[in-house]
Amino acid sequence: MEGRPLDDIALVERAKKGDVNAYEALVQHYQELAFRVAYQVTGNAADAEDAAQEAFVNAYYALGRFRSGAPFKPWLCRIVVNEARNRRTSAQRRTVLAERALVAQSSGDSAQSPEDAAEAREFRSMLVATLQRLKQDDRLILAYRLFFDLSEAEMAEALNCPRGTVKSRLSRALERLRAALPSDIRMPSLAGEHDG
Amino acid sequence: MADPRRITDVELEGALRDLGPRYPYPPTPNVASRVRLRITAQPVARPHRFELWRNPRRLALVAAALLVLLGAAALANPTSRDAIAHFFHVRGVIVSRQPSPLPSLSPGTPLDLGRRTTMADAQSAVKFKIAVPADLGEPDAVYVVSGIPGGEVALAYSPRPGIPLVKQTGLGVLVTEFRGDLNPGFMGKSLGPGTTLQETSVNGDPGWWIAGEPHVMYVEVGGQGQTVTLRMAANTLIWEHAGVTYRIESGLSKADAFRIASSLP
Repeated sequence: MEGRPLDDIALVERAKKGDVNAYEALVQHYQELAFRVAYQVTGNAADAEDAAQEAFVNAYYALGRFRSGAPFKPWLCRIVVNEARNRRTSAQRRTVLAERALVAQSSGDSAQSPEDAAEAREFRSMLVATLQRLKQDDRLILAYRLFFDLSEAEMAEALNCPRGTVKSRLSRALERLRAALPSDIRMPSLAGEHDG
Repeated sequence: MADPRRITDVELEGALRDLGPRYPYPPTPNVASRVRLRITAQPVARPHRFELWRNPRRLALVAAALLVLLGAAALANPTSRDAIAHFFHVRGVIVSRQPSPLPSLSPGTPLDLGRRTTMADAQSAVKFKIAVPADLGEPDAVYVVSGIPGGEVALAYSPRPGIPLVKQTGLGVLVTEFRGDLNPGFMGKSLGPGTTLQETSVNGDPGWWIAGEPHVMYVEVGGQGQTVTLRMAANTLIWEHAGVTYRIESGLSKADAFRIASSLP
């Protein structure tokens, strides 16, 4: 969202001075991201909610150490992932099947023929299932870049690694995802309006 | 007709971008109000006792805690005094050993540190000179409890390089100070087999170093066990100086905790 980092900087500065309303505005804006990032790690809603809430509380108390002007989003992601890792449970495996079913039912393919739409849904559900089989770090780096739209600089901050290694880690994660896909997989014509 | 050619990076990235907005996340819960509740000043006298009865594990812990508190009464008996006086080495704190592993409480258990305030206000609310460890500098947050004799202050420090996050507190270091001489049964610590307890001396004053597995800590406010706060606590150095009991909870080593303690004025 254009202009958001400026809003963040102002809100963070106010929150640092003890303005709880400013911090609540940050929480309101980022709670969906925090929950979804946590969900990518925990694979279950209750743990993800718990992790997101805990992360916001911890982030608030850590604001004093947060460098003024730095981007809030990747810093928050890092805290969320730490919390989520503490809560990851075996329940994750059970959610995979439910997720596949959900993707298969999801709509949004109205511009396609029924056959193409069905094929796209099948492909997406297979993609979700394959992502779930990846290592957590690979899944997270792919999600940061391609689901949550973090820039390379933001990913470096969120992953706590040098910026130079983000690209190679992303590339390796893509490679492992590709290797984990069924060998006879075929790209369907997707309905998304992505570039290229 | 299946196309056996390799999927390119661009195609795979495109497929993931396409999947992003359709990913089957559960609905996002609204955590904002709960976060706000937790970060704003909260009175110590929370109605925990009502929640406790609905949670058998906590109830069991409270029962154990109260048993320990009752143990204090045994001090009046000269024959038992020697046997358990060891556990009352620091005024204001009762330490007990549990033979079996303790059930674990959620790390998110409220800390009940009291009302968040400024250092100046906290100083005016307590009846002792608040000591700030020079090694840590000014705290990130100050809390005060004025409902106990002499008051209690908590200095909260966020994690930072060299000071790891403590899961149990969500902080880097937590320093609490209260008049142990006026509150003999204020704080209790229940240690399981995985927690070590060392009698020690801090700047010549008696103290404890409690480390290893997190231990259960409980605070009784208002006397007669009216409110009991229970939570898991990390490595703790606790000692008493001139009637004030100091407590430093962190994920730090004994040497680092002692360095902080020595830097108190």
